[in-house]
Amino acid sequence: MFSPSHVPNPGFHDTVPSMIRFENVGMRYGMGPEVLRDVSFHLAPGSLHFLTGPSGAGKTSLLKLMFLAQRPSRGLITMFDRDIATLPRAELPDIRRRVGVVFQEFRLIDHLTTYENIALPLKIQGRAEESYRADVKELLSWVGLGERMQAKPPTLSGGEKQRAAIARAVVAQPDLLLADEPTGNVDPEMGKRLLRLFIELNRLGTSVLIATHDHALVEQARAPELVLQNGRLTVRG
Amino acid sequence: MAEERSEKREDAGEAESRSLLRLLVETKSVMPAAGATGLPLVLVIAAMCFLASLALGAALSVGGATADWTRDLSGALTVEVKPARDKNIDTQVETAIKVLTGAEGVLSVHALTVADTQALLEPWLGKGNVTEDLPLPRLIDVRIDARAPPDIAALAKRLSDAVPGAELDTHRQWQAELVRAAHAAEWLAYAVLAVVAATTIAIVTFATRAGLSANREVVEVLHLIGARDRFVAAEIQRHFLHLGLRGGAIGLALSVAAFLALGWQGNAASMFLVPMSGLRLQYYPALVAVPLVAALVAVVTARLTVIRTLHRML
Ligand SMILES: Nc1ncnc2c1ncn2[C@@H]1O[C@H](COP(=O)(O)OP(=O)(O)O)[C@@H](O)[C@H]1O
Ligand SMILES: [Mg+2]
Repeated sequence: MFSPSHVPNPGFHDTVPSMIRFENVGMRYGMGPEVLRDVSFHLAPGSLHFLTGPSGAGKTSLLKLMFLAQRPSRGLITMFDRDIATLPRAELPDIRRRVGVVFQEFRLIDHLTTYENIALPLKIQGRAEESYRADVKELLSWVGLGERMQAKPPTLSGGEKQRAAIARAVVAQPDLLLADEPTGNVDPEMGKRLLRLFIELNRLGTSVLIATHDHALVEQARAPELVLQNGRLTVRG
Repeated sequence: MAEERSEKREDAGEAESRSLLRLLVETKSVMPAAGATGLPLVLVIAAMCFLASLALGAALSVGGATADWTRDLSGALTVEVKPARDKNIDTQVETAIKVLTGAEGVLSVHALTVADTQALLEPWLGKGNVTEDLPLPRLIDVRIDARAPPDIAALAKRLSDAVPGAELDTHRQWQAELVRAAHAAEWLAYAVLAVVAATTIAIVTFATRAGLSANREVVEVLHLIGARDRFVAAEIQRHFLHLGLRGGAIGLALSVAAFLALGWQGNAASMFLVPMSGLRLQYYPALVAVPLVAALVAVVTARLTVIRTLHRML
């Protein structure tokens, strides 16, 4: 059967053993307790992983470290061979552009249309609209939002928002896709469709990390699991 | 459907003619034009541009007028011949004219007649009240070559030697005081201009910060999907460019109307001691610079504020 963790990424050179590496990472919010403790793992290019654990275990917090919304309070994080602790602020966008994120609460921009929301990662790269209009429309049709292109996010259903958020995360063809509870707002049938979408993307070379507390989802794809429990991480499979 | 519409709008020549209009009508921004800073801010900038135009117009007018006075007065002297009990005033005036006409640097000499002198006093004493036997001083208007003026001190000495009771008035005292007052007024106008500019900068800074914090979520999402500060700043700057130009245009229109109204009022109106019949035509182009400078100030201020504020975010 399809074994995503061993699909090589053709765009990545062989000398790079991992695109993400955590070593003894700890993280706390402000002066609060550590929500992540001694977290160590690495993600290889072209791999697919689940990140599981009960609600409040720290899944979102771990993802925040990876999309550079939070800094670790200790430990070492390397992304694309860069130590993010020493990364100057001006270089954060370069890393972030290689990471697509499906936020748990979507974070679509309400006053822009669905089309504009999904085209945004391309627009901020300074690309002219003519160069991507057709691609964005094609992607919109592919996630089943072809008819809702001009709708604003507040008028979309939960499932539509979910798919819009996923489309925005993948439109710029990131090297790494982080999805935070991407099936949390949809029925099981839609959940299966979205999972197939992630597996397809992974097949095309993107590393994928799916955070979920939905065990049914994990059982549908045979992929290694990073399990968070009380801020500690173990790797299964 | 909306896509089709926007494609149709891209038609060739039409786009060209609309480019100016586009500067005034804001195009859609990633940042929602934070409601609170829209129309009120346009009006505030309009008021600021109105004040700035008035101050600039006043400064230019006063500056121009002082330059004219200096030019006019330094080309003129007045000789006052006081009547003396034992001398005939007409002979005294004649002697004075002789002395003056011969002097180097003097272009013309013109003695005011008794009737002229009476006419000068009429506004104060009333018509017919100036009697023949009132001992009036006689005035001689002397035009001199401003570029090669005569030696004033020597001329005054020769004059008073030849005609006791003749005094040379160089207008210097009067001129110096007037020019000093006018210069003060001119600087006052420039100070008003500076205060207006500083106020505009402060207002735009506040508005930018308010806009940024109202759009905090959007700014954060933009950053997380890889936007650089430059992109965020450009979106906000564009907003302030439109605000600045729109407000500036309104302020300019109001100030031009004000100056035209002053002109229509005629000589009754004066500004900072200077009688003004509206703004001189040559100064109107300078007023057009006001909204442009205002828009530039707004844009630069917004950009600096955004970059500075964002630097404190991750
Ligand atoms: N912004 C925050 N400030 C303070 N504490 C937070 C914040 N976000 C999450 N936490 C805390 O961190 C812990 C882990 O939360 P989270 O990473 O959201 O878990 P999960 O995504 O697995 O449900 C929880 O105890 C939560 O209360
Ligand atoms: Mg979570």
